[in-house]
Amino acid sequence: MTRIASSREAFTNGLLDLAARDERVVLVAADSVKALRATPFEEQFPQRLFDVGIAEQNAVAVAAGMAACGLIPYVATYAGFITMRACEQMRTFVAYPRLNVKMVGLNGGIYCGEREGVTHQFFEDLGIVRSIPGISIVVPADASQVRHATRAIADIEGPVYLRIGSGREPVVFDDSVPFEFGRTRVLFEKGHDMAIFTNGFVVSRALAAAERLHETGIHITVVEVPTLKPLDRDAIVEVLERTRGAVTVEDHNVIGGLGSAIAETISEHVPVPLVRVGLQDVFPESGEAEALLDCYGMDVPSIVGAVHRAIARKECLRLGDAEADSSVQRSPGMQVRT
Amino acid sequence: MAHETAHIVEMARQLRRDVVTSVHLAGDGHPGPALSIADIVATLYFAVLRIDPQQPDWPERDRLILSKGHACPVVYAALARRGYFPVEVLPSLRCLHSMLQGHPDMHKTPGIDMTSGSLGNGISIGLGMALAGQYKHQEYMVYVITGDGELQEGIVWEAAMAAVRYRVGRLVVFVDHNGFQSAGEVSRVSGLLPIRPKFEAFGWHCQEINGHDVQQILDAVNCAREAADRPSMILAHTVKGKGVPFMENDNSWHKRVPTAQELEAALEALR
Repeated sequence: MTRIASSREAFTNGLLDLAARDERVVLVAADSVKALRATPFEEQFPQRLFDVGIAEQNAVAVAAGMAACGLIPYVATYAGFITMRACEQMRTFVAYPRLNVKMVGLNGGIYCGEREGVTHQFFEDLGIVRSIPGISIVVPADASQVRHATRAIADIEGPVYLRIGSGREPVVFDDSVPFEFGRTRVLFEKGHDMAIFTNGFVVSRALAAAERLHETGIHITVVEVPTLKPLDRDAIVEVLERTRGAVTVEDHNVIGGLGSAIAETISEHVPVPLVRVGLQDVFPESGEAEALLDCYGMDVPSIVGAVHRAIARKECLRLGDAEADSSVQRSPGMQVRT
Repeated sequence: MAHETAHIVEMARQLRRDVVTSVHLAGDGHPGPALSIADIVATLYFAVLRIDPQQPDWPERDRLILSKGHACPVVYAALARRGYFPVEVLPSLRCLHSMLQGHPDMHKTPGIDMTSGSLGNGISIGLGMALAGQYKHQEYMVYVITGDGELQEGIVWEAAMAAVRYRVGRLVVFVDHNGFQSAGEVSRVSGLLPIRPKFEAFGWHCQEINGHDVQQILDAVNCAREAADRPSMILAHTVKGKGVPFMENDNSWHKRVPTAQELEAALEALR
């Protein structure tokens, strides 16, 4: 049975830890205290909670002003309301002046927006933030990592976007596992037939797919990319050189997020086949969280299928290379096993 | 007092000369909106702000946010005349690698407290600065200069609500009410007017002054400071292009470069 823990509570707990040791840490909310499960913060640090109401542009700009005067504001509300409604404030008044604002987005991905429907399912946030210079992006895999990451990003001088969820996320890591900013992490390494790069609350699904593949004789490596920006490029390239192909698994539109980041790295450094698992550039719908991921192509069989396809393409290329090397014409009927 | 106002009036005239000259030499910029606020800017920089040009980042300093960032030539002139950087830098306005960006950049120009230029955001950012001061028990004041047209942005009213909720007495907003925006008269572009009752309805301390009368500006600032339990709005009636007769109330000077001949005429009027 999958264990579940709340990334929202984890965020608040992380913030409480931080606030206890650093007076500069404050919370800016946009009527989001209840959604954040941040009532304990309000109780313990009433003078450090600034709730500006349902006004996200104002929340982000207020946070920018606070940071310009030496505070470390965490501005937290729904991911899309920060990254879309307040996008320009984030870009012009946080990122451009390199202000020390931490932006925390709830309901990252369709898994976390689930029954609310498209208005509250945010699968463009990472692409939007990634295209803005100077904002670090952190996408933890479960609640304990959110708690660690909430604390870790306080030590990074400058803007950070932290993606969290709905409050019911599968547990991936033991609480003792730290969060390391800027680094990838190999979670599963049975062989180099293929690599899966993954992050966020679908990491558990990528791992389940890797186990299933292992049982059928396909031995892969699963790499978590919890810091989407700056990307741990050298480590990713090193894995790609061994696996000669990649599958990305993310709860985000396949345009703009991890799939795009890995595609960019591949095309510039290690040109190998890539298959991107994620939301295929469509609007989803309301539904139960697990069923939504299954329905929109982020189910374990689809991840397994994506690995098969990536291996087939790799094989194709390998045969093509061999052909080119020997200048021998391949017979017209030759099929590549998939 | 008379001596002080005379000095400010002379400085305002100097800033106006700097504006038309720097826009002419740079070949780009917004002279009309800058001339409109020259008296407010001169009063703040030469009589009001607790600042130290030797320590631009002094944590306890008063802050000024130019929400109408396109009027920056006049603030750049004030900073130069106040000693933040040499006056000779002013003609590099908008040029590649200049410290004087087309719109203010807090990291490139010493003395600029906040990056600005996208309209409507200054009051929110000023609110954040004032809240930080309140939280840290610091006594600095935060002044914002906003245009009238930019009050059409929704975020202005988000900030107006929150500022009252948090009783930020050290936030003072000047509205440069010259009646024009890029596309024409504010009264024709939108249903914004009248401005004062809207801020009053939100619970702000409100005053209305002639934005070219230095004594009125000084008095309004003192009065705003006394309203310690709520934010203040000073509706400053101004003339766009003020000080250069052929630019006054001619909105083509919103963004336009004076020719050598026009510069000469402008400087003659500003002697």
